[in-house]
Amino acid sequence: MINFDYVRVSTIKAAVDAIVKDNNSLWLAGGTNLVDLMKKGVMTPQKLVDINNLPLKEIKKEGNKLIIGALALNSTVADNELVRKEQPLLALAVQAGASAQLRNMATVGGNMMQRTRCPYFYNTDMPCNKREPGTGCGALKGFNRMHAIFTDTEKCIAVHPSDMSVGLVALDATVLLSGPRGDRRIPFQNFHRLPGNLPQKDNTLERGELIVAVEIPENKLNKHVHYLKVRDRTSYAFALVSAAVAVDLEGSTIKDIRLALGGVAHKPWRLTEVENFLKGKAATEVNYKQAAALAIRGAKGFGLNNFKLKLAPNTLVEALKTATGKS
Amino acid sequence: MAKKGSGQNQAEENYLNESRRNFFKQSSLLTALAVTPPAFLKAAEEGLDEKAAGYFEKMPLAIQINGVNHDLSVEPRTTLLDLIREQLALPGTKKGCDHGQCGACTVHVNGNRVLSCLTLAVTAEGKKVTTIEGLADGEKLHPMQEAFIKYDGFQCGYCTPGQIMSGIACIREGHANSDDEIREYMSGNICRCGAYPNIVKAIADVKKGGQTL
Amino acid sequence: MEKDKAPDRIDRVDARAKVTGTASYAADHKIQNTVYGLLVGSTVAKGRIKSIDTKAAEKASGVLAVLTYFNTPKLPGYTTGKDPSKPPTGGQPLRFFATNEIFYYDQAIALVVADTYERVLHAAKLVKAQYEKATHKTSLEDNLATAKVPTGPRQEDYTRGEADSYKNAPVKIEQEYYHPVEVHNPMELGSIVAFWEGAEKVTVYTKTQGVQATQKSISDAFKLPLGNVTVHARHIGGAFGMGLRTWPYEIAAVMAAKKVGKPLKLVLHREQMFTNVGYRPATKQKIGLGATADGKLIGLTHEATGNTSAYEEFTEATVNISRFMYACPNVTTRYRLVPLNVCTPIWMRGPGEATGAFALESAMDELAHALKLDPVEFRVRNHADSDPEKNLPWSSKYLKECYEMGAERIGWKNRKLQPRTNQDGDWLVGYGMGAGSFGAMRWVASVKGILQPEGKLRLQCSVNDMGPGTATMMTAVAADIMGLPPGRIIIEMGSTGLPPGPMQGGSNVTATVGSAVHDVCFAMKEQIAALASKAGSVFSKANSQQLKAEDLLFSENGLSLKSDTSVRLSYSEFFKQNGLPAVEVTKESKGTEQPYSSYSFSVHFVKLRVHPATGRIKIDHVVSCADAGTIVSPKTSESQMIGGAVGGIGMALMEDMVIDQRFGRPINNNLADYHVPVNADIPTVDVLFVNKKDPIIGPMGSKGLGEIALVGVAPAIANAVFNATGKRLRELPITRDKLLEV
Repeated sequence: MINFDYVRVSTIKAAVDAIVKDNNSLWLAGGTNLVDLMKKGVMTPQKLVDINNLPLKEIKKEGNKLIIGALALNSTVADNELVRKEQPLLALAVQAGASAQLRNMATVGGNMMQRTRCPYFYNTDMPCNKREPGTGCGALKGFNRMHAIFTDTEKCIAVHPSDMSVGLVALDATVLLSGPRGDRRIPFQNFHRLPGNLPQKDNTLERGELIVAVEIPENKLNKHVHYLKVRDRTSYAFALVSAAVAVDLEGSTIKDIRLALGGVAHKPWRLTEVENFLKGKAATEVNYKQAAALAIRGAKGFGLNNFKLKLAPNTLVEALKTATGKS
Repeated sequence: MAKKGSGQNQAEENYLNESRRNFFKQSSLLTALAVTPPAFLKAAEEGLDEKAAGYFEKMPLAIQINGVNHDLSVEPRTTLLDLIREQLALPGTKKGCDHGQCGACTVHVNGNRVLSCLTLAVTAEGKKVTTIEGLADGEKLHPMQEAFIKYDGFQCGYCTPGQIMSGIACIREGHANSDDEIREYMSGNICRCGAYPNIVKAIADVKKGGQTL
Repeated sequence: MEKDKAPDRIDRVDARAKVTGTASYAADHKIQNTVYGLLVGSTVAKGRIKSIDTKAAEKASGVLAVLTYFNTPKLPGYTTGKDPSKPPTGGQPLRFFATNEIFYYDQAIALVVADTYERVLHAAKLVKAQYEKATHKTSLEDNLATAKVPTGPRQEDYTRGEADSYKNAPVKIEQEYYHPVEVHNPMELGSIVAFWEGAEKVTVYTKTQGVQATQKSISDAFKLPLGNVTVHARHIGGAFGMGLRTWPYEIAAVMAAKKVGKPLKLVLHREQMFTNVGYRPATKQKIGLGATADGKLIGLTHEATGNTSAYEEFTEATVNISRFMYACPNVTTRYRLVPLNVCTPIWMRGPGEATGAFALESAMDELAHALKLDPVEFRVRNHADSDPEKNLPWSSKYLKECYEMGAERIGWKNRKLQPRTNQDGDWLVGYGMGAGSFGAMRWVASVKGILQPEGKLRLQCSVNDMGPGTATMMTAVAADIMGLPPGRIIIEMGSTGLPPGPMQGGSNVTATVGSAVHDVCFAMKEQIAALASKAGSVFSKANSQQLKAEDLLFSENGLSLKSDTSVRLSYSEFFKQNGLPAVEVTKESKGTEQPYSSYSFSVHFVKLRVHPATGRIKIDHVVSCADAGTIVSPKTSESQMIGGAVGGIGMALMEDMVIDQRFGRPINNNLADYHVPVNADIPTVDVLFVNKKDPIIGPMGSKGLGEIALVGVAPAIANAVFNATGKRLRELPITRDKLLEV
């Protein structure tokens, strides 16, 4: 690892100033991804600004919103009573990620900021448009078993690795930011982006914008939830495909529903159209299968990940069945 | 805990007073120049290259490890794992992957299990670290250590310090209520010898014992 | 350890060191002024190094040296050149920095030395090389056409009876099986600490399964007298075979330590554990198997093609299991190698047999299905009552007992003969089994026993303990014979200079070293009996006859006369009377050629569930049964068996080092992308031992256990998957995508 400067800040303003002032600086929160990437030489900041002392760890209810501080630990979120009661889907999604130790280190904001786990991104002697724009996508014709089936470009077919973000995008969360030009709110759905012509850009943050919190509106989606993560081993592995499901059932009718997939795109994949299809319909396997067929429209395999074209809809159906007790 | 405040202030001061820091850098360089051989001078003249840069990048670090306070000076890039293994002669904590993929380096920081390979040592300023060496009370082993012996929760023993640190935390966190829950919450600690079933038995037994850990 | 503990289920004797973090592995050894070494690997898989720019690295802070081909003189021992017929543990055909030729991706092109770990990490990244690239070959499947017959012994084609006669059998199957590269990945990284005293004496702490073999390698390379090379490896953090040879990185570290004149520590990155220290080779196999309609085998042909490196021939006994496992009159085996631009493989737990058994035991299951026979019954019908390959009786064989006890424990009666007929909700339930075997070997070992006046017995042997519990086994044997509690026995092992022991490989250690401990203890008792018979001793006064060992009772309190236990002496009194500080006995012990065939046998039963919609698979229960002769240390032996089952689960369901053929480099060489089982993957594993003495192999009658614990597990899982789903999967690993159905 290159040596770098390290400073600690304890106010949001100092944190933002530090990053704006120095183009080669990055914030350090849990470090579970950044330190790893620095060891690999994928990221080489010359200064780390440690933000762990910022007062952004709180999880609280404000009006009809659940506010989760950006520095709340993943394990705190997963075990938090308020989260488990009001937004159990989020608790399940967070708990499906990484390991207990990593969840004890990783923060909410850091989880959102994770880089892809694409091996071509991680190895500096391989082509990767995300790491080094213009070098090509190593995965496109390479080992792309873990890769995206929804993408807007062949320049990058990496997937976003976060489970938590799949839960948050399903729950209509909003990201609260503080930056050099003041505060800003972004719907979670617009936080991560598709690669397009800028595969190096994972999200829509501007330089110097700090994630302060995520906000989840109250809902009635806490009774029938499931987060199903299909992976190569039972635990401590990234998703092949994951599905986040939260349903408000009235009898056996779907009154309201939130759906999202993980492991299928450069961003957590919200399925709004599928939700609309299922709203008002009966919670039956037949309907779930139709919904799943809708969910996979426009998907495309790149060879080794072709199985996801089957796995994604099947995982969605399975998660729906489990959430609504139809399995 | 007074240490914590001062370390933090110093770091912030360094940052907030960038010009002062630059001056500090330069004066360090001058000091270094005064005492170093010609080869170094030449390297320094060619621009502040690597060799020169190495002379001044350490940070103060006050940290408590296994109940002992240390006032150290470390490079920001030093991980907690390398600090305790290489500089503090506490080799009980193991390096298995160095990338957060195996759990062998698990230690407790302020009572929570974390991976020391992904923890920059400087971020543990003012914190209390417990490693495998800090568990036993003299000759009296920690109940989790006893249980690992009783159930033979290892073979080669290399992942064992991490497993034990993780197992204690697993119970403390309230995630040892069934064998399946233990399996899930212990999945961040890889054991290539495959002692998993015995590890689960050891943790379940300690949990049943009900001691405060 | 408390004295009332039953000696037959003793705790692992080094357990306390392991749970307190005081067990020292190679990289844990701290020597004043140690500097740090790190390897820099080639970024091409084949070619020549044109130039290496080390300037930036050399200028980096704290850097003491950068060794490369261009600045490193060849070692004096580097004169023999390539010798493909030499077994890989015998030499060092690839030597870092001795050639500018690149044979594989990540082959070391430089070794950087710096004063701190952080600095060497950084400096290593600054080394840049220019290559003259050549076209690499890294795919076994794409290069099968270049397969050749290996030159080593026991690798020639084999035919018993008529060649390929399965083709004429009334019921037959013919199938291909594939096993990808599987990597040992012990949790401990390859590590070495080396320091020189002057130019002629070196000491290393290193990760080896045999300190003497490493001593020999270093002494050969540097042309030093053996006695000038000291190797320590008391504890090693698993190895599973990767420590069975001295790797180029170890020699390079010793070179670098000499060059900088300081103690040097070199620890491999996990990535380098995939590329530089061997693996289980990829193997393509074909089995033809034919039987009569009532299920008697007629013909078996087993062909295998494995990969080796571009610079060495590595062979293993992949097809050999098919020669003796079942009674079959006509057997043909063929074994081929394909050289690839990869590091040389090395034996991995159940080497050859584990790969071969995946094909053979899958094929047996396939033929049983074709015959509509229960797979256990099919195997019993073809049980080999004597070794059909060597035409010798077995020294012992209780395979049928294993079938029986395992079937009972797993609930085999609940297995449906027709696949995909056992459903639990959306999950498909299946049962499977697979058998395994491995040669039961007894090699040579010397052990020294020192009985001290305070009633403590020290046992010394250079053998080490990578985890199976060698020290515990030695303690158990000695405790039993000497009447001492385990806590009174001190094991000194894992260093050169101690009486020579075997490599820890091939499941030989209990038979080899255990027998030596046995012999030493009995000799010691005889020696004590002779002393006790001397005129003037209390024992000779009470018993005028010459005393034999069996006339005396040995315990932690000392000696007593069996016929009159009131006649007793503590060891300290006894030694004082004889003017001795201690009683010392050294014995060499070895197996002898016998007209018997010796193998250990295992049978593994698996119950699992498959969720066809998502491809998820959940193993519910594993029962592993072993005929390994007398079980000397039940507690550690059970752990060893459980570990084998876990390894087999990894092999069956997840392990696969993927090479991107375009670049000739592994793409998942880390523990996040190369999956090994985690705790949540592992169900209850029941271990059942026949525990019957083998009358031939040695005095305790113990056969080996380490390999058979794994051999046969992977096919048991593949067979259970077939029973659950009706899908026959002949390519490992059986990942989710392969089980996925619409």
